[in-house]
Order: sequence, then C-alpha cells, then structure tokens
Amino acid sequence: MTDRASPAFVNFRTRDGGPALGAVIAPVLLLGLWQAACMAGLFPVQILVPPSVVGSTLVSMAGSGELQHHVTDSLYRLILGFAIGTFAGLVFGTIIALSRLAEAAFSPLFLTLWQVPVIAFVPMMVIFLGIDEPFKIAVVAVAAFFPVALATFDGIRGVPKAWFDVARVYRTRLPDLIWRILVPATVPAVLTGLRVALTRAWVVLVAAELLAADSGIGQMMEMGRQLFQIDVVLAGVIVSGLIGFLLDRGARTIEQRATRWRTA
Amino acid sequence: MNRLLANPFIRIALGFIAPLLLFGWWQWQTSTHVTTFAPPSAIGKAFAEMIGDGTLASGIQATLRRAFTGLAVGAPLGIAIGMATAVWRPLDRVLSPLLNALRQVPMIGWLPLMGLWFGVGEGTELIVVSMAAFFPSMLNSHAGVAQVERRYLDVGRIYGFTTPQRFRLILLPAAMPMILTGLTQALAFSWIATIGTEILMGADAGLGVTMQLAQTQQRLDMMLVVLAATAALGFAINQAFLRLRRFLLRWQPSAL
Amino acid sequence: MSVDPLSRPETKAQPLQKGALTISDLNKSFVIGKKPRLVLENIELTVQPGEFVSIVGASGCGKSTLLRLIVGLDDEYSGEIRLDGERISTTSLDRGIIFQDHRLFPWMTLEQNIELALLNTDTPKARRAQIVADHIALVNLKGFEKAFPHQLSGGMAQRAAIARALVTEPKLLLLDEPLGALDALTRVHVQNELQRIWMAQRSTMVMVTHDVEEALYLGDRVIIMSPNPGRIRRIVEVDLPHPRDRRSPLLHRLKDEILAELTTGAAIGNAPSNLIHLHGREER
Repeated sequence: MTDRASPAFVNFRTRDGGPALGAVIAPVLLLGLWQAACMAGLFPVQILVPPSVVGSTLVSMAGSGELQHHVTDSLYRLILGFAIGTFAGLVFGTIIALSRLAEAAFSPLFLTLWQVPVIAFVPMMVIFLGIDEPFKIAVVAVAAFFPVALATFDGIRGVPKAWFDVARVYRTRLPDLIWRILVPATVPAVLTGLRVALTRAWVVLVAAELLAADSGIGQMMEMGRQLFQIDVVLAGVIVSGLIGFLLDRGARTIEQRATRWRTA
Repeated sequence: MNRLLANPFIRIALGFIAPLLLFGWWQWQTSTHVTTFAPPSAIGKAFAEMIGDGTLASGIQATLRRAFTGLAVGAPLGIAIGMATAVWRPLDRVLSPLLNALRQVPMIGWLPLMGLWFGVGEGTELIVVSMAAFFPSMLNSHAGVAQVERRYLDVGRIYGFTTPQRFRLILLPAAMPMILTGLTQALAFSWIATIGTEILMGADAGLGVTMQLAQTQQRLDMMLVVLAATAALGFAINQAFLRLRRFLLRWQPSAL
Repeated sequence: MSVDPLSRPETKAQPLQKGALTISDLNKSFVIGKKPRLVLENIELTVQPGEFVSIVGASGCGKSTLLRLIVGLDDEYSGEIRLDGERISTTSLDRGIIFQDHRLFPWMTLEQNIELALLNTDTPKARRAQIVADHIALVNLKGFEKAFPHQLSGGMAQRAAIARALVTEPKLLLLDEPLGALDALTRVHVQNELQRIWMAQRSTMVMVTHDVEEALYLGDRVIIMSPNPGRIRRIVEVDLPHPRDRRSPLLHRLKDEILAELTTGAAIGNAPSNLIHLHGREER
C-alpha cells in the first residue's frame, strides 16, 4: 500500500525466513558461484582454486593439527592482549573522566597518539620487543586500549550530573560510587567500546602476524603467499573472516543482553 | 581548581606534561644504559636530516596520494551501492549478504591474496585501500537512505516529485549526515589501510615505507619523526573534514 | 446512497466551480494482524466550493485516514471521492495538505521549501520568485526567507507550511490537526491567520481538529464523527458571518453541546448524517 510508494523504507527482515536465512544464503551462493567458475576453468590455478580444494586443504591442515596450532596461537595472543589492553583502557579512561587535572595532562598526548594507526606503531614495537610473543600481545593490547579508553571516558562523562548529586547527598564513598552508580551507568557505552576494540584487535593481530610471526593465521597466510599456495591463503582468508564474524556476533549478543534495561 | 583549568594557557601547558615525562624517561634510559636505539634528543637532527634528503616530503606526498586515491575510488562506489540497495530492495537482497560476508575478513587479510593475484605493487595497494574505504561508505549510506522519514517522502508525493527530484531533493540531503559519517570512517580506514599496506608490502615511497626502513635500521629517531608526521597529518585531515561537514550540514540545529 | 452529484437538479443549475468535493459511500478497512478492520463506514459528504468545513471526533474515528484518502496518499478504498466531478486516484497539485508537523525540509531555507511546491507546475520560472515572496508576505513571514526550519518557532514553521500548501493555489486544501503541536497562545494567533487567509483566498478547506472551539470558530460546518468504525454522526451548521467573534454566545453554546455529545456519547438526533441546522441570530 503506502509503504510500496516509499521504497526507501528497507526492511531487513525478508518475508521468507527472517534475517538468519538471508545471511546464510548469500555466502552459500557465493561459494556455489565460485565452485562453478573454477570448474568451468575460468581462472588459472595460480589465481583461484575452487572451494572444494580449499575445503580439503582445511581438512588436511586440521588433521595434521596445523590449523588448530595456528588458530589457538592467534586466539591466545588475542585474548591475552585484549585483556591487558582493555584493563588498561578502563583504568585510564576512568581516571581521565573523573579527574579534570588528569584529563588536561594526559588527553592531548592520548588524542595525538589516537590519530596514528596502530599499525604504524608496529615497527617501533618490533625494535623494543622483538618479534616474539610479547610483541604480538603488546600490539593487540595497544589496539584494544584506545577504543576502550575512549568509550569509558565517553560513558562516564555521559552519566547525568544529577546522579552524582544524588551520590553526594547520600555521602557515598568512592568504591560504592564506582560500583553502584558508575559501572551500571557506563556499561552500555563500555560494551560497545569493547566490541569495537575486539574487532580492531583481531584485525591488527592478523596484520602483525603477517608482518612478523612464526605461527598464527596471519603468518599462515603470508607463508602461503610466499610459497604460492593459493589454497592455503584462501583458507586463511576464510578462517580469519569466520573468526572475526563470530567475535563480532558474540560481542553483540553480550552487548544486547546486558543493555536490556535500556528503552530503545 | 576548575577555574585554573578553564584557563586555556594552563591547559596547554598541562598537556605537555605527559609527553615531556615520556621523553624525560626515554632520555634517561638511553643515557644510563647502552641501548640499541637513539636517544630522543636526536629527533631534531633526524627531522632535519629527513627534510634535507626529501624523504619526509616524498613520504607524505606518496601516502596522501595513495590514501586519497583509494578514497576517491572506494567511497563513491560505496555510497552509490549503499544508496542503491536502500532504494531497490531486489538489489539489496542480492548484493548485501554477499558484501556483508566479504566485509568480515579483516582488511589486511586480503593482502596476501591480492598479492598473489595482482603482484606486489601499487595496484594491489590501491585495491586494498579502496576496499577499506568502500565498506563504511556503503554501510552508512545505506542506513542513511533507509532512515529517511516517510513523512518527507509523502511531501514529495504530494508535490508530484519525479524519481530524480525525489533523489536530489529528499533522499540525498536527508541521508547526508550519515553519508558524511560514512565518509569520515572511510577516510580513517583508508588512511590506516594505506599505512598498513606500506608497512607490509613496501613501495617506493611513503610514510609506512619510511617507518619500515627505520625499523630495519633500528633508527628510533626516524620512527618518531614519521609518527609525529602521521599524527599531525591525521589531525589536519580530520579537522579539514570536520569543517567540510559543518558547512554541508549547516541546516542542522546546533545540538547535533 | 450514492447519487451522482451531476444528476442532482440543484447542481445542474450552477456550473461546477473550483473545489467541490463529493464523497459518497466511502468505506475503508485496514488489515491488522489477519483480520480486516473497518476504519471508515459509509461516509457521505459534499463540500461546496469556497466552504470551510471542520471535522471533529475522538481519536480512532478515522479523521486523518479520511484526509489521506482525499489527498490521494492512500488509494485503497471503496466508494467514490470526486473533486469537481473527477474521481480521485492519486496525489495531485489540485489538492494540498497541511499536517500537524510542518514537514518542511530541514535542509532547505524557507524560500526553497515554498518554491519546491511549484517545481512541477507549469508556472513560468520567472514568475516563481514573485509568487513565493507574495505567499511569504501572506503568512507574515517576511524577512525570514533565508532561514532554516530549525531557526523558526513552531508557529512560524506551521505558517510556512500553510504558505507552501497555498502557493500552488489548490482547489482544495486539507488540514490535518494543523495547530495541534502549537502552544495555546500561538494557536489562537495562527487561527486568526488561517481565517484571514481563507477570507482572502476563499479556497475550499477541510480541517480535522480535536479542538471543538477551533472547529466552530473557523468552520462553516462542523462534522462530528464517532469512532469504531469511523462514521459521520452529525453535521452542525454554523451560520455566522466571517470574521467571527470568539466571544459569540452561539459559538459557546454549540461548543458545550458538541463536547457533551462527544464525551458522553449521547446522541442528539437519530440516524448518522443527520443534518441539523442551528441558525444563530445575534443580538447586537
């Protein structure tokens, strides 16, 4: 009826099966097209390899334990670095949000460093830390630090003044102030920051592994590139994309669960 | 205390505390220990050196050129596809899930693949940077058009707007805030992607290239110069874009 | 009863002027969930050219739906809606509408907003600037031509919307609770403006409002609708000359009666669409 007249109103929910179906159909279609194109011989083997070959590569790598090795190494670095960076970000963000003095002293440096892509810090960190585990974990930590610190700062500053006044009237002590007022109030903003930080951290980790590592998904792809093993490279692309997708979805679900009290 | 902080001069002075502390610690480190990297006091010399032999200038030029070329390719394409999928639902059904699946792969993760396909060179870099600019532009433009309120489109119907008129006078301006948000992100991402690809793939000149070179030569002072240049450039570009945005959106009430 | 207005002897004598609206046997349903819900039932209405008709009723009586159907934003209904004998099928520059929210485009200046109404008319481009300026003056917004909507107050923006609706010189102007979003003082002011403009231009106007006093102040006739489904319950004629005096005892008496009817649901009169004439003779 009237809705048809305004086609700009897009409804993501397809009438056939809801969003989940649509999200699955397309990659499947993509895979199908890919397989067909390869079997038709449209691409030379150096350029593109059918998904069936990639699939078997993945299977054999899983069988030999190689795939798990890369994935667990990458995830280990991710989790550790993310934990460190997030913690540091939370602390730093809270401090500069609560203390105007700290904000004046530290935020210029912070904002300047924020302008620089984390990747640009990588060579410097290689000098300081070499190319071993500490380096990669540090890179992830730095990548996670900035978004979390910013989100924490925004979240706390966004707490309505009125709530602080109530705390003051009831003479709330600092620990109580933090736990019972600030934390619940800032959880939504901080969770969003955490989600952003997680996806960024994953991207940066893969990049760092491409550059300098002896294991991990990124390194797997780089090695595949150097050995002209396109199936390995493609396998890496798929795995890194899949992990990134799952991380994002997981973070979103947690975010939505925790912010259910918010009215839209 | 708050009154003290309200004074702009005091704020600026305070802002120097952290960097000064950092440099102080650094200087102390390099003077008391034997370290493999140069002390920060050498930064001035390095700066002069890099300006002298032109590496800084050519590096800045190359990186800017790559970032903006990628932006010029990826962003308009992203905006066009984002708007098109918001207006024609069949197109949306076909393209969006595909593009969303591709989007999940970390941008840098495409490099090895692109490297295999197109070789190591400017072409690959351009593709990756364009992709980095494409996705945020597409997503935000799509959302921008999708949230155009129906009541404005009603007005268009009442006055008999043709499709081009509806596009030019309603959809485009109403979606502009989100399109510009998408452009801001695209700008940031293409900047990051440029430096990332320069570091990872190398090239003839560029800030990332210089950074990588400095790393192999263990020249921390050079690195700092490049970092400072990157930060300054990033800041300048952001500011310029903010101005542009404020101009294009001057019809908005100031609260936004 | 659907009677073709063209065949009625009275109307044959006068040539059909601009802006005669005839609605006959109008029914409209929405599908909510799985069941169709009747929103308008058996609406019969004739509006003479140059008349000002007000429609009042509780929420849910379909007033706004009726206006949307008349203006052509909605084309699914059964029955007939004709303007000057021609069946309405879609939107047209013959029929203008003003909504409760002004719906000016925030990204255009006042001038540009009004001018866009002329975009698809065959008014020569050279004349357009003048026509826009004339209408800006008509609604007393001179000086604000280059202002953006967010810089205008609620009343000013609504007046701008009126100017935009009138600039195409529509045969029929529909007003959907135009003053609902304004504060009480501004409302009185804009009511006076509306009356003045209508007296100057004498376009046919159909206004929906929940404010009975406003309906009586502005309207030649007040149509009272009842909800679930929307029906015309009664039509009250207000036989007072324009410009109207707000203090008029007749207006107050009518208002009390109509309010009583709307709030208690007690019907004065029998069948729907019963025409009751209440002539007023003012003692001066």
